[in-house]
Amino acid sequence: MDKSTEIILISIIHYLFFVYTIAAIGSYIILAFISAIETKEYMRKNSFVNYKEILASTISPSISIIAPAYNESLNIVENVRSLLSSYYVNYDVIIVNDGSTDNSLEQLIEAYDLIPVEYLINEQILTKPLRNGVFKSTNPAFEKLIVVDKENGGKADALNLGLNISTHKYVACIDVDCLLLEESLQKMIKPFLEATDAKVIAAGGVIRISNSCLVKGGKLHDVNFPSKWLEKGQILEYLRAFLLGRMAWSRLNGLLVISGAFGLFDKKIAIKVGGYDTKTVGEDMEIVVRMRGYMEEQNIKYKVAYIPDPLCWTEAPDNYKTFISQRNRWTRGTIETLRRHRKIGFNPKYNSLGLLSYPYWFFFERMAPIIEVAGIIYFGILIALNHIRWDYSLAFILLAYLFTVLFSIVAIITEELTYHQYKKKGTGKHLVMIAFLEPFVNHPFILYAAIRGNIDYYFNKNKKWGAMTRKGMNKA
Amino acid sequence: MNETYYFIEYFKQSPPIIQVAWIFSAVFSVFIIPLIIYLNYLRWHLRKNEIVVAKYQAEYEQALVHYLYSGNEEEEISSEQQLIIDKLKKCILTPFKRKIVISTLLKLKNEISGEVAQSIEKLYCQSGLIDYTLPKLTSKKWYTLAKGIRELRQFQVKEAHDQVAKHINHPRRQVRKEMQLYMVNLFYFEGLDFLNVLKTPLSEWDQIQLLEVLQRFDNQKIPNITSWLNSSNDSVVVFVLKLAKIYNQFEQKEVLIDMLNHKNKDIVVEVISVLCHLEVFEAKEVLKNTFEQRTQEEQIAIFKLMENLYEINDEPFLLDYIYHENFEIKVSALKILKSINSYKFNFLKSSSSESEFLQIAHFIENN
Repeated sequence: MDKSTEIILISIIHYLFFVYTIAAIGSYIILAFISAIETKEYMRKNSFVNYKEILASTISPSISIIAPAYNESLNIVENVRSLLSSYYVNYDVIIVNDGSTDNSLEQLIEAYDLIPVEYLINEQILTKPLRNGVFKSTNPAFEKLIVVDKENGGKADALNLGLNISTHKYVACIDVDCLLLEESLQKMIKPFLEATDAKVIAAGGVIRISNSCLVKGGKLHDVNFPSKWLEKGQILEYLRAFLLGRMAWSRLNGLLVISGAFGLFDKKIAIKVGGYDTKTVGEDMEIVVRMRGYMEEQNIKYKVAYIPDPLCWTEAPDNYKTFISQRNRWTRGTIETLRRHRKIGFNPKYNSLGLLSYPYWFFFERMAPIIEVAGIIYFGILIALNHIRWDYSLAFILLAYLFTVLFSIVAIITEELTYHQYKKKGTGKHLVMIAFLEPFVNHPFILYAAIRGNIDYYFNKNKKWGAMTRKGMNKA
Repeated sequence: MNETYYFIEYFKQSPPIIQVAWIFSAVFSVFIIPLIIYLNYLRWHLRKNEIVVAKYQAEYEQALVHYLYSGNEEEEISSEQQLIIDKLKKCILTPFKRKIVISTLLKLKNEISGEVAQSIEKLYCQSGLIDYTLPKLTSKKWYTLAKGIRELRQFQVKEAHDQVAKHINHPRRQVRKEMQLYMVNLFYFEGLDFLNVLKTPLSEWDQIQLLEVLQRFDNQKIPNITSWLNSSNDSVVVFVLKLAKIYNQFEQKEVLIDMLNHKNKDIVVEVISVLCHLEVFEAKEVLKNTFEQRTQEEQIAIFKLMENLYEINDEPFLLDYIYHENFEIKVSALKILKSINSYKFNFLKSSSSESEFLQIAHFIENN
């Protein structure tokens, strides 16, 4: 290769990286603006809502909360209590014990006076069979509780059994370790009941991190900011994703994912598309894409709604091993979903789903870590070949870093202007500090996990869910 | 000076992408510093605001409680009360304090009832707060308008009826909802007259709220709903069907039976549910005769009705559906069959080998 060809090649590579960086930054800025508009609108609209009126209503539609549990004995009794303390009237709680090998079931039986009952299950989705059957409480105080004990089949399989068991119109699929606020169901059901021009098929809520928060009687008592950098970084990451990302996609009706930790679905549609896919580790994203695809194919006007209120608090990984395993799984879930539904991508038949949401996820979620690593490798090659221009490199690195910091600070300000959850003095300083440090504290591990996720997806097909070690929330 | 010159020259000689990268980095840096300062101020302001609001709220609450219990029978307003009104008049000159006064009044109003609650409503007008609210009814901003209507509802200001009624078909649903709640809260069932002219859809959320308000009143005599059942606005029809169910409108049975041929299938399902609740046996024969022409949702609703209104002569009809492909229909058919002819039910159970059928039959037998 002669010198001029080499220069042209290097220039092309530079421009490709540059265009990608500017496109990513541009898309984040656009999404942030759309989020600001949507958040303002939501806050205004919400100020006219009296949730107390709807929660007491016996004519409000019925909801089943489905919570799969696998070896959750550490917190299960407390967590179920939290799920049973909703202010909503018409709901039941279905705990699906997915073949736990610990004493989760025994604890539930003892704490809630459960006895086995005969239950007619409409098996619309094929699942693993029941183990010890269905249990209900003899105590009228827990009449809303149904516990199902089945053979292990994974989270998706457990959720599918919950869909079969539920007799209600809507299902809230949640992680059993999540702490739901009392008004969560009213807020989540609202978009379904308000829609008059389009059918709402699903609604997702904001997930907040409960590490270091104080929990009393299954209720969130005090919001604290954790001390570990990893946990702090995740708080910031969630703020950015939920307040600046998903809010915008909600306005564009382009949400592709509803967090598995808490989402509300139209049961009929969820069953019609075959329920959760048991062959993916990203079942939460996959079902949303499938439901959306189905609605597009049926030519029915629909919406996937999003509620920005902090309704669901969950424990985040507090060590790098668990964190990497979680992010590895998220990456594999994204790849699996995008590959499985590749006919949607760039397909005008699927409208904005095919032309906007899918391409965005493909380029800026699926490809982002690969391009970033490619950039690092390219950087290394340039150093090795002594072709590096340090001033140019500095310009690029600084651009990416400063934008990340700016975006994080905008996310923190949005949080303060809306929900102001981290009220304690001094927390603001910590939040700003983590905005500057997060690119070094969390991001390298996210990148590593994403690359491992890609490798595992292509070369280690047997890898399934990683284990999440629970510490349990701080109890008063 | 030389350094500046060097940087300018360096910048000019850099390729365009490097120039853009430096420009963006400089812009981001310029934004970050003021934003951090603003964030600090914002957090300080929010904390301080909470303290100030709590302080004023406590002060106004004390004054208002004093107002409520310092009246006498001789005068409409006692001198002590007049002093408090004057104080409030001064406070509400600033929007910040006005907001706190209103929220304190509402808090007290929600805690008490009867004559004392009416005193608060009177005070709302006497203090001049209403003069700030009425102009909101002509605002072009939807949230200002909606806030105005909400406040008038909360303080039961009936005099604004005509001005509020103008917004029946306002393009913003929040305004329409506030208008509807105003009408129903202040004028009870008469307030439902807006249904005659409502062109926009009434969402399920709105319907639930209106029904909840209506059920709170002592007078539960509802007006004639026939014209609303024939409304061209389908959401009005659905809402009125809920009214018919809650208020047991048996006298509407002929209209309801006619509505079984409504073009909107969701409405037909609702009608079947109301007929089931009202136990209109005549409807069952109509539905049985047209069963095959109906959608699956309607068919499931028909079987739910039959679970409530079954008779011995329904048996031949039921036998046609005990092996139906739909689970709910199959369960309903078997449940009713067991009630009207247990011998036949047991015979079918013992002669069947289909596992799902046996599972259902076994469950019905034991429950």
